[in-house]
Amino acid sequence: MSDVKKAIGEKEDGSFYKVLIIDDSVFVVKQLTQILQSEKFEIIGSAQDGEEGVQKYKELYPNVDIVTLDITMPKMDGITTLEKIMEFDKNAKVIMISALGKEDLVKKALISGAKNYIVKPLDREKVLSRIEGVLKK
Amino acid sequence: MRVEYINPFVEASVSVIREVLDVEVKREQISLKSKAMPVLEIAVIIGLVGQVEGRVLFDMSRQTALKIVSKMNNEEIKEFDELAKATITELGNLITGRAVTKLSEMGYKFDVTPPAIFSGDNMEISDTEIEALIVPIETPIGRIEINVALREK
Repeated sequence: MSDVKKAIGEKEDGSFYKVLIIDDSVFVVKQLTQILQSEKFEIIGSAQDGEEGVQKYKELYPNVDIVTLDITMPKMDGITTLEKIMEFDKNAKVIMISALGKEDLVKKALISGAKNYIVKPLDREKVLSRIEGVLKK
Repeated sequence: MRVEYINPFVEASVSVIREVLDVEVKREQISLKSKAMPVLEIAVIIGLVGQVEGRVLFDMSRQTALKIVSKMNNEEIKEFDELAKATITELGNLITGRAVTKLSEMGYKFDVTPPAIFSGDNMEISDTEIEALIVPIETPIGRIEINVALREK
Protein backbone atom coordinates (compact mmCIF):
# COMPACT_ATOMS: atom_id res chain seq x y z
CA MET A 1 0.00 0.00 0.00
CA SER A 2 1.30 3.42 -0.82
CA ASP A 3 1.37 5.92 1.99
CA VAL A 4 -0.03 8.87 0.05
CA LYS A 5 -1.68 11.40 2.32
CA LYS A 6 -5.40 11.64 1.77
CA ALA A 7 -7.11 14.97 1.14
CA ILE A 8 -8.81 16.30 4.28
CA GLY A 9 -12.16 16.00 2.52
CA GLU A 10 -11.69 12.32 1.78
CA LYS A 11 -13.19 9.68 4.09
CA GLU A 12 -11.58 6.36 5.03
CA ASP A 13 -13.74 4.55 2.47
CA GLY A 14 -12.63 6.86 -0.35
CA SER A 15 -15.85 8.86 -0.53
CA PHE A 16 -15.89 12.59 0.25
CA TYR A 17 -17.30 14.64 3.11
CA LYS A 18 -20.40 16.58 2.08
CA VAL A 19 -20.76 20.20 3.11
CA LEU A 20 -23.76 22.51 3.22
CA ILE A 21 -22.81 26.21 3.19
CA ILE A 22 -25.34 28.65 4.68
CA ASP A 23 -24.24 32.26 4.12
CA ASP A 24 -25.83 35.36 2.63
CA SER A 25 -22.56 36.62 1.10
CA VAL A 26 -21.78 35.26 -2.37
CA PHE A 27 -18.18 36.22 -1.66
CA VAL A 28 -17.95 34.04 1.47
CA VAL A 29 -19.73 31.14 -0.26
CA LYS A 30 -17.21 31.34 -3.10
CA GLN A 31 -14.27 31.58 -0.72
CA LEU A 32 -15.40 28.58 1.35
CA THR A 33 -16.17 26.57 -1.79
CA GLN A 34 -12.70 27.20 -3.22
CA ILE A 35 -10.94 26.28 0.02
CA LEU A 36 -13.00 23.15 0.65
CA GLN A 37 -12.97 21.88 -2.93
CA SER A 38 -9.18 22.15 -2.95
CA GLU A 39 -9.21 19.42 -0.29
CA LYS A 40 -11.83 17.40 -2.14
CA PHE A 41 -14.82 18.24 0.05
CA GLU A 42 -18.06 18.00 -1.86
CA ILE A 43 -20.25 21.11 -1.65
CA ILE A 44 -23.63 19.44 -1.63
CA GLY A 45 -25.61 22.66 -1.35
CA SER A 46 -25.66 26.29 -0.34
CA ALA A 47 -28.31 28.60 1.07
CA GLN A 48 -28.47 32.39 1.25
CA ASP A 49 -30.47 32.71 4.44
CA GLY A 50 -31.41 30.70 7.51
CA GLU A 51 -34.87 29.65 6.36
CA GLU A 52 -33.49 28.25 3.13
CA GLY A 53 -30.64 26.68 5.10
CA VAL A 54 -32.90 24.72 7.44
CA GLN A 55 -35.01 23.58 4.49
CA LYS A 56 -31.92 22.43 2.55
CA TYR A 57 -30.57 20.56 5.58
CA LYS A 58 -33.85 18.68 5.93
CA GLU A 59 -33.95 17.88 2.20
CA LEU A 60 -30.37 16.65 2.12
CA TYR A 61 -30.47 14.76 5.44
CA PRO A 62 -28.78 12.34 6.21
CA ASN A 63 -26.32 13.21 3.44
CA VAL A 64 -24.73 16.28 5.07
CA ASP A 65 -21.53 15.67 7.02
CA ILE A 66 -20.89 19.24 8.02
CA VAL A 67 -22.63 22.62 7.85
CA THR A 68 -20.90 26.01 7.78
CA LEU A 69 -23.31 28.58 9.15
CA ASP A 70 -23.01 32.37 9.02
CA ILE A 71 -23.98 33.99 12.31
CA THR A 72 -25.59 37.14 10.85
CA MET A 73 -28.06 36.67 8.02
CA PRO A 74 -31.35 38.14 6.83
CA LYS A 75 -34.74 36.45 7.43
CA MET A 76 -33.45 33.95 10.01
CA ASP A 77 -30.22 34.58 11.90
CA GLY A 78 -27.53 31.96 12.43
CA ILE A 79 -28.48 31.14 16.02
CA THR A 80 -32.13 30.43 15.20
CA THR A 81 -31.04 28.44 12.16
CA LEU A 82 -28.67 26.41 14.33
CA GLU A 83 -31.39 25.72 16.88
CA LYS A 84 -33.76 24.52 14.14
CA ILE A 85 -31.12 22.25 12.62
CA MET A 86 -30.19 20.78 16.03
CA GLU A 87 -33.86 20.27 16.83
CA PHE A 88 -34.22 18.25 13.63
CA ASP A 89 -30.92 16.35 13.96
CA LYS A 90 -29.20 16.42 17.35
CA ASN A 91 -26.06 14.93 15.78
CA ALA A 92 -25.65 17.67 13.18
CA LYS A 93 -22.11 18.98 12.87
CA VAL A 94 -22.41 22.74 12.51
CA ILE A 95 -19.50 25.15 12.46
CA MET A 96 -20.28 28.86 12.83
CA ILE A 97 -18.72 31.55 10.65
CA SER A 98 -18.53 34.84 12.50
CA ALA A 99 -17.21 38.36 12.13
CA LEU A 100 -15.06 39.67 14.94
CA GLY A 101 -17.04 41.35 17.69
CA LYS A 102 -19.81 38.76 17.93
CA GLU A 103 -18.42 36.87 20.92
CA ASP A 104 -21.77 36.76 22.72
CA LEU A 105 -23.46 35.17 19.72
CA VAL A 106 -20.62 32.68 19.27
CA LYS A 107 -20.95 31.65 22.92
CA LYS A 108 -24.69 31.24 22.48
CA ALA A 109 -24.10 29.11 19.38
CA LEU A 110 -21.66 26.82 21.18
CA ILE A 111 -24.17 26.35 24.00
CA SER A 112 -26.87 25.60 21.40
CA GLY A 113 -24.81 22.79 19.89
CA ALA A 114 -22.40 24.29 17.35
CA LYS A 115 -19.23 22.19 17.29
CA ASN A 116 -16.80 25.05 16.69
CA TYR A 117 -16.52 28.47 15.04
CA ILE A 118 -14.31 30.38 12.64
CA VAL A 119 -13.77 34.13 12.93
CA LYS A 120 -13.35 35.99 9.62
CA PRO A 121 -11.22 36.84 7.66
CA LEU A 122 -11.22 33.28 6.40
CA ASP A 123 -8.00 31.74 5.30
CA ARG A 124 -7.31 28.27 3.99
CA GLU A 125 -5.40 26.97 6.96
CA LYS A 126 -7.86 28.25 9.56
CA VAL A 127 -10.92 26.89 7.72
CA LEU A 128 -9.41 23.47 7.06
CA SER A 129 -8.00 22.95 10.56
CA ARG A 130 -11.30 23.85 12.27
CA ILE A 131 -13.32 21.64 9.95
CA GLU A 132 -10.90 18.77 10.28
CA GLY A 133 -11.07 19.14 14.07
CA VAL A 134 -14.87 18.93 14.03
CA LEU A 135 -14.88 15.89 11.75
CA LYS A 136 -12.46 14.03 14.01
CA LYS A 137 -14.41 14.68 17.20
CA MET B 1 -15.34 64.75 17.64
CA ARG B 2 -13.21 62.74 19.97
CA VAL B 3 -10.27 61.01 18.41
CA GLU B 4 -10.81 57.88 20.49
CA TYR B 5 -13.79 56.90 18.28
CA ILE B 6 -11.83 57.50 15.12
CA ASN B 7 -8.68 55.62 15.92
CA PRO B 8 -10.25 52.15 16.16
CA PHE B 9 -11.68 52.60 12.64
CA VAL B 10 -8.45 53.87 11.20
CA GLU B 11 -6.36 51.18 12.87
CA ALA B 12 -8.83 48.45 11.88
CA SER B 13 -8.85 49.70 8.28
CA VAL B 14 -5.09 49.75 8.05
CA SER B 15 -4.64 46.31 9.61
CA VAL B 16 -7.47 44.62 7.67
CA ILE B 17 -6.36 46.09 4.33
CA ARG B 18 -2.78 45.10 5.01
CA GLU B 19 -3.76 41.59 6.04
CA VAL B 20 -6.46 40.78 3.50
CA LEU B 21 -4.94 42.51 0.48
CA ASP B 22 -1.34 41.88 1.43
CA VAL B 23 -0.22 45.40 0.43
CA GLU B 24 1.76 48.21 2.00
CA VAL B 25 -0.51 50.82 3.55
CA LYS B 26 0.29 54.46 4.19
CA ARG B 27 -1.86 56.76 6.31
CA GLU B 28 -2.06 60.29 5.02
CA GLN B 29 -2.94 63.64 6.56
CA ILE B 30 -6.28 63.72 8.37
CA SER B 31 -8.72 66.44 7.39
CA LEU B 32 -11.82 67.77 9.07
CA LYS B 33 -14.94 68.67 7.09
CA SER B 34 -18.11 70.26 8.28
CA LYS B 35 -19.93 70.77 4.99
CA ALA B 36 -20.80 68.65 1.97
CA MET B 37 -17.90 66.68 0.60
CA PRO B 38 -17.37 64.60 -2.51
CA VAL B 39 -17.51 60.83 -2.30
CA LEU B 40 -15.51 58.59 -4.63
CA GLU B 41 -17.35 56.23 -7.00
CA ILE B 42 -17.81 53.26 -4.68
CA ALA B 43 -18.77 53.84 -1.05
CA VAL B 44 -19.61 51.53 1.82
CA ILE B 45 -21.56 53.08 4.66
CA ILE B 46 -22.11 51.69 8.15
CA GLY B 47 -24.30 53.30 10.78
CA LEU B 48 -23.76 53.26 14.54
CA VAL B 49 -26.52 53.70 17.10
CA GLY B 50 -26.10 53.74 20.86
CA GLN B 51 -23.66 55.46 23.19
CA VAL B 52 -21.74 56.40 20.07
CA GLU B 53 -23.82 57.41 17.06
CA GLY B 54 -23.24 58.48 13.50
CA ARG B 55 -21.77 56.81 10.47
CA VAL B 56 -18.55 55.55 8.95
CA LEU B 57 -18.01 55.61 5.21
CA PHE B 58 -15.26 54.01 3.19
CA ASP B 59 -14.95 55.24 -0.37
CA MET B 60 -12.72 54.53 -3.31
CA SER B 61 -12.63 54.78 -7.09
CA ARG B 62 -14.27 52.05 -9.16
CA GLN B 63 -10.84 51.03 -10.41
CA THR B 64 -9.50 50.60 -6.87
CA ALA B 65 -12.63 48.69 -5.85
CA LEU B 66 -12.19 46.27 -8.77
CA LYS B 67 -8.54 45.74 -7.87
CA ILE B 68 -9.50 44.97 -4.26
CA VAL B 69 -12.26 42.61 -5.37
CA SER B 70 -9.93 40.83 -7.82
CA LYS B 71 -7.30 40.40 -5.16
CA MET B 72 -9.75 39.09 -2.56
CA ASN B 73 -11.22 36.60 -5.05
CA ASN B 74 -7.90 35.53 -6.57
CA GLU B 75 -9.19 36.24 -10.05
CA GLU B 76 -9.60 39.25 -12.28
CA ILE B 77 -13.01 40.84 -11.92
CA LYS B 78 -13.83 43.52 -14.46
CA GLU B 79 -17.34 44.52 -13.57
CA PHE B 80 -18.79 45.79 -10.34
CA ASP B 81 -21.29 42.92 -10.16
CA GLU B 82 -22.98 41.05 -7.31
CA LEU B 83 -19.80 39.21 -6.36
CA ALA B 84 -17.88 42.50 -6.33
CA LYS B 85 -20.52 44.11 -4.10
CA ALA B 86 -20.46 41.14 -1.71
CA THR B 87 -16.67 41.28 -1.59
CA ILE B 88 -16.51 45.00 -0.79
CA THR B 89 -19.29 44.51 1.78
CA GLU B 90 -17.20 41.78 3.37
CA LEU B 91 -14.21 44.10 3.55
CA GLY B 92 -16.48 46.63 5.30
CA ASN B 93 -17.66 43.92 7.70
CA LEU B 94 -14.11 42.90 8.55
CA ILE B 95 -13.02 46.46 9.29
CA THR B 96 -16.16 47.25 11.28
CA GLY B 97 -15.90 44.01 13.26
CA ARG B 98 -12.40 44.84 14.34
CA ALA B 99 -13.17 48.47 15.17
CA VAL B 100 -16.32 47.61 17.09
CA THR B 101 -14.45 45.05 19.18
CA LYS B 102 -11.96 47.73 20.12
CA LEU B 103 -14.67 50.28 20.98
CA SER B 104 -16.56 47.69 23.05
CA GLU B 105 -13.38 46.93 24.97
CA MET B 106 -13.16 50.65 25.70
CA GLY B 107 -16.62 50.39 27.27
CA TYR B 108 -18.86 51.90 24.56
CA LYS B 109 -22.14 50.14 23.90
CA PHE B 110 -23.81 50.49 20.52
CA ASP B 111 -25.26 48.60 17.55
CA VAL B 112 -24.00 48.61 14.01
CA THR B 113 -26.08 48.45 10.82
CA PRO B 114 -25.09 46.02 8.05
CA PRO B 115 -22.91 47.76 5.44
CA ALA B 116 -24.70 49.37 2.48
CA ILE B 117 -22.98 50.10 -0.81
CA PHE B 118 -23.46 53.17 -2.97
CA SER B 119 -22.02 53.50 -6.41
CA GLY B 120 -22.17 56.35 -8.86
CA ASP B 121 -20.46 59.46 -10.17
CA ASN B 122 -20.34 62.90 -8.59
CA MET B 123 -21.75 61.75 -5.26
CA GLU B 124 -21.44 63.86 -2.17
CA ILE B 125 -22.32 63.44 1.48
CA SER B 126 -23.52 66.08 3.92
CA ASP B 127 -23.56 65.65 7.66
CA THR B 128 -25.65 68.44 9.05
CA GLU B 129 -25.10 67.78 12.74
CA ILE B 130 -21.78 66.00 13.06
CA GLU B 131 -18.50 67.09 11.56
CA ALA B 132 -16.62 64.45 9.64
CA LEU B 133 -13.00 63.39 9.75
CA ILE B 134 -11.39 61.97 6.66
CA VAL B 135 -8.40 59.67 6.86
CA PRO B 136 -6.98 58.81 3.44
CA ILE B 137 -5.13 55.54 3.10
CA GLU B 138 -2.72 55.12 0.24
CA THR B 139 -2.01 51.62 -1.11
CA PRO B 140 -0.33 50.34 -4.29
CA ILE B 141 -3.78 49.48 -5.65
CA GLY B 142 -5.19 52.92 -5.00
CA ARG B 143 -6.53 55.28 -2.41
CA ILE B 144 -9.22 54.46 0.12
CA GLU B 145 -10.78 57.19 2.23
CA ILE B 146 -12.15 56.53 5.67
CA ASN B 147 -14.72 59.15 6.44
CA VAL B 148 -15.97 59.11 10.02
CA ALA B 149 -18.76 61.22 11.53
CA LEU B 150 -19.50 60.05 15.07
CA ARG B 151 -20.47 61.60 18.36
CA GLU B 152 -21.19 60.46 21.85
CA LYS B 153 -24.85 60.48 22.77
